[in-house]
Amino acid sequence: MSPMAVPIADYVGLSAVIFFIGVAGVIVRRNPLIMLMSIELMFNAANLLFIAFSRAWLHNAGHIFAFLVITVAAAEAAIGLAIVVTVFRTSRHVDVDDIALMKG
Amino acid sequence: MPVHHVMGNEGNYPYLLALWLLPLAGAIVNWAFGPQLKSAAGALGSAAIGVAFVATVLMWGAATQSVPSTGGVNLVGAHQTLFSWLPGFDFGLLMDPLSLLWALIITGVGFLIHVYSIGYMDGDNAFARFFAYMNFFVFAMLTLVLSDNFVGLLIGWGLVGLASYFLIGFWFFKPSAVAAARKAFVLNVVGDVGIMFAIFMIFASVHSTGFGDAFAFAGSYNTGWLFAICLTLFIGAAAKSAQIPLQTWLPDAMEGPTPVSALIHAATMVTAGVYLIARCAPLWSQNQDAQMLVGVIGALTALLGAILGCAQWDIKRILAYSTMSQIGYMIMGVGVGAYEGGVAHFFTHAFFKAQLFLGSGIIIHALNNEQDVRRMGGLIKTMPFAFVAMLTGVIAISGIPYLGSGFFSKDLVIQGALQHGHPWLYAIALITAGITAYYMCRMLFVTFLGQYRGNVDPSDLGIRHPELAGTSAHAAEHDEVHAHAPAWLMNVPVGILIVPTVLIGWLMFGGENSPWAHFFAQQFPHPALPAAPISETLTAVIAFALVIVGIAIAWARYGVAPAQQNAVERLRQESVRMPAVLTNAFYFDYAIDWLFVRTSQLLGTLFGRFLDPQVIDGAVRETAFSAQWLGTLVRSFQTGLLRTYAFLLVIGATCFMVYYAVAMGAAK
Amino acid sequence: MAAFWILGITLIGSAIWCITNTKPVYSVVALLLNFAALAAMYLTLNAEFLAVIQMIVYSGAILILFLFVIALLSSGVTPFSVGPNKLPRIGIPAVVVLLIALGFLTYAVNRVTANAFANTSPTSPVGPVGTAGVFGSVADFGKALFTTYLLPFEITALVLMVAVIGVILLAGDQAPYVASQKQAEEVRREMREAILRGGE
Repeated sequence: MSPMAVPIADYVGLSAVIFFIGVAGVIVRRNPLIMLMSIELMFNAANLLFIAFSRAWLHNAGHIFAFLVITVAAAEAAIGLAIVVTVFRTSRHVDVDDIALMKG
Repeated sequence: MPVHHVMGNEGNYPYLLALWLLPLAGAIVNWAFGPQLKSAAGALGSAAIGVAFVATVLMWGAATQSVPSTGGVNLVGAHQTLFSWLPGFDFGLLMDPLSLLWALIITGVGFLIHVYSIGYMDGDNAFARFFAYMNFFVFAMLTLVLSDNFVGLLIGWGLVGLASYFLIGFWFFKPSAVAAARKAFVLNVVGDVGIMFAIFMIFASVHSTGFGDAFAFAGSYNTGWLFAICLTLFIGAAAKSAQIPLQTWLPDAMEGPTPVSALIHAATMVTAGVYLIARCAPLWSQNQDAQMLVGVIGALTALLGAILGCAQWDIKRILAYSTMSQIGYMIMGVGVGAYEGGVAHFFTHAFFKAQLFLGSGIIIHALNNEQDVRRMGGLIKTMPFAFVAMLTGVIAISGIPYLGSGFFSKDLVIQGALQHGHPWLYAIALITAGITAYYMCRMLFVTFLGQYRGNVDPSDLGIRHPELAGTSAHAAEHDEVHAHAPAWLMNVPVGILIVPTVLIGWLMFGGENSPWAHFFAQQFPHPALPAAPISETLTAVIAFALVIVGIAIAWARYGVAPAQQNAVERLRQESVRMPAVLTNAFYFDYAIDWLFVRTSQLLGTLFGRFLDPQVIDGAVRETAFSAQWLGTLVRSFQTGLLRTYAFLLVIGATCFMVYYAVAMGAAK
Repeated sequence: MAAFWILGITLIGSAIWCITNTKPVYSVVALLLNFAALAAMYLTLNAEFLAVIQMIVYSGAILILFLFVIALLSSGVTPFSVGPNKLPRIGIPAVVVLLIALGFLTYAVNRVTANAFANTSPTSPVGPVGTAGVFGSVADFGKALFTTYLLPFEITALVLMVAVIGVILLAGDQAPYVASQKQAEEVRREMREAILRGGE
């Protein structure tokens, strides 16, 4: 099969842009649901790189790890949402800035 | 490893173990079952010591045996290895003539004093405790003299100090007794530390603490080290044997019951210093300076004790100062190299001083714990037996020729000082002999002649603090039991002691051929000495002349008829005019107080007020404050806000990303 | 080439839309678009199995979970802050610096990897997407997963199990973190009412 039509560097750039959009979402938003979605965005950015490099090397290890990342992302989403529900149960209002038990 | 040098003939000696451990068994039984034993405690404690004495006598043959060994020297005595702790720390029992002599006195005189105590302590609330302590003391003292190494000796040394502490403070409800016990213990610990340092130095020199090794290499010590070893050993000896400047505890130790004074503070424990120096004779013989030092200290102590003995009114304190003085003789004897003489004086002194103390105990007991001789007088009529006992003791200690044992041994010491080339010590010893006769006769005359003064107002006799002199909380409990205390229990031991007090000195009669010289023929070094400039006979004559002078002065002051008639007024005059330097015992207590106690307190105050709170605590405090400050600073970063943490995380991650991008961009 | 750019712009646009929406439901929709575009991009990269997984797991499971939570929590009450989500003051310069950095990163990677993949040895036969047994197909992926990468697979199973237990503990009926029995009753009643109202 032919080499990739798009140079790998473009995939790196695209992945980085999506990743930093996710980062911005985590930093800027106070809504925990949006924050969790932003984290999913970051996972996907990483997955994109796995797949792209896997294609470049023609080696399927990247596929395997992308699969494992998807699994872990599912687990993370489940736990994150469970925490959101628990916080809602106790405080009735969910704002990550209000949850500052770790304040020194 | 150097060759292991042994002393004595190795073997199994059941009697040796028995005599060593029986007193301990007696102590433990009395300690554990005291309340159940009741009055049987005294019999049990005495029996333990009595059997130990029999076992000691049965050891005579083994202890004096002399078997030629491969090294060309004879192995003298019996040795039994017990166990080994570390290389160089082998524990065992050694019984050669020197230890045998001490063991005989400890168990023999000890037995008599135990029997006497049954009568003296009768009715005391802590009867069994007393005998437990006494047995424990005998065990500790036997450990001291039977050990074959310095560590065992130090253990015994410490334990006798402990027993002494227990017994001086036996009547712990008397504050003065507690204070005296504490003082004795502290001063004795000074000596313990001295011996400990000596052990360190000996071990550093010969890699062993056994006597055999330490003495076999006696010639190979570095001279400075040897002097240091002898000096530190002598600190121990001086503390235990009440030598200048560590003597101040002994008169105060008379707060204990009189049998304790007789056994511990006259006959045995205080002579441990003499034993130590006699035991370490091979070391002392190698070092002239150490010999000189010990000789001078001994002579000065003898003189000082005698002078202070003249100024005392408490019968036990008079005897305490005389003990100090007589031990000074012994120390001088063993110090200058006249080991047989010093040890001989220990031997006779054990008898006659026990005799004197027990005799005074009879008086004190009969007078309901009155100890001030000014409140006695005329006792010759009411207590003739006590008078005989005290008279024989005074004759012996004064050294009246051929009539008492003290004459023979004191003569050996005095002549020994001259023979070993110390004419000044010889002179001091002779003068001291005269003073000794004076103050002992003074005590005898004031106590027994004239009229009984117990019913005279104390202030008329010049007694300033009647509540301090001779009164005791013990008196009350003694009043009621006095009637049925079996008098023979106290009189029989004293009666038995009269025999050796008068006669035992004849063992030393005959110079080179005396039984005494034979007994110690292989124990001590015998360097060839030039003939003394003054013959032994002439020395005896001079000493006797001085003793006569002393007795005559005492008679003139206290014995003649006018003195007896005006005794009250004369004693008051003497009490009031007593020089302060004598009543304060040459201010040694004050000197020690200023030099050591005040200095320590000052140092303690410095540490307590400044160094500890400002420097040490201050450092801790500053550390804590700076940690707190740092914590406050770092705490401000911990907002607890999730987004802040995420932001900081991203900054870090970005830095890595930029770094790798730049690294890649710069790569070829 | 063209597909990359179209899909790339879709990805970035939907991602920005996702994080800027005030309503979480719209964010979920934006994310759905994002995931779909990503799945398409996986196809262009010969990862047909992962493209399918992306659609099933992400779009089908995770996003539905998000939707459920939004439906449960936002009915009748306003659980989420709606105030201004202002960027920090350094936002604009940060974006500029970041873009420059990313541009440089792309340039640097390009420089390094220009001829890096010339002599690759494929782990499996390569062919067009959809052909059986080629690189990225289900058979190829499954074989690798259950032979060479069995251990990571099993460990991931363990991670999943722990996550399941954690979720049950956190959100289960017997939640131990509820402050008091009374408060728990109240919350439970409100949630039941919210469900009965039909998620409005």
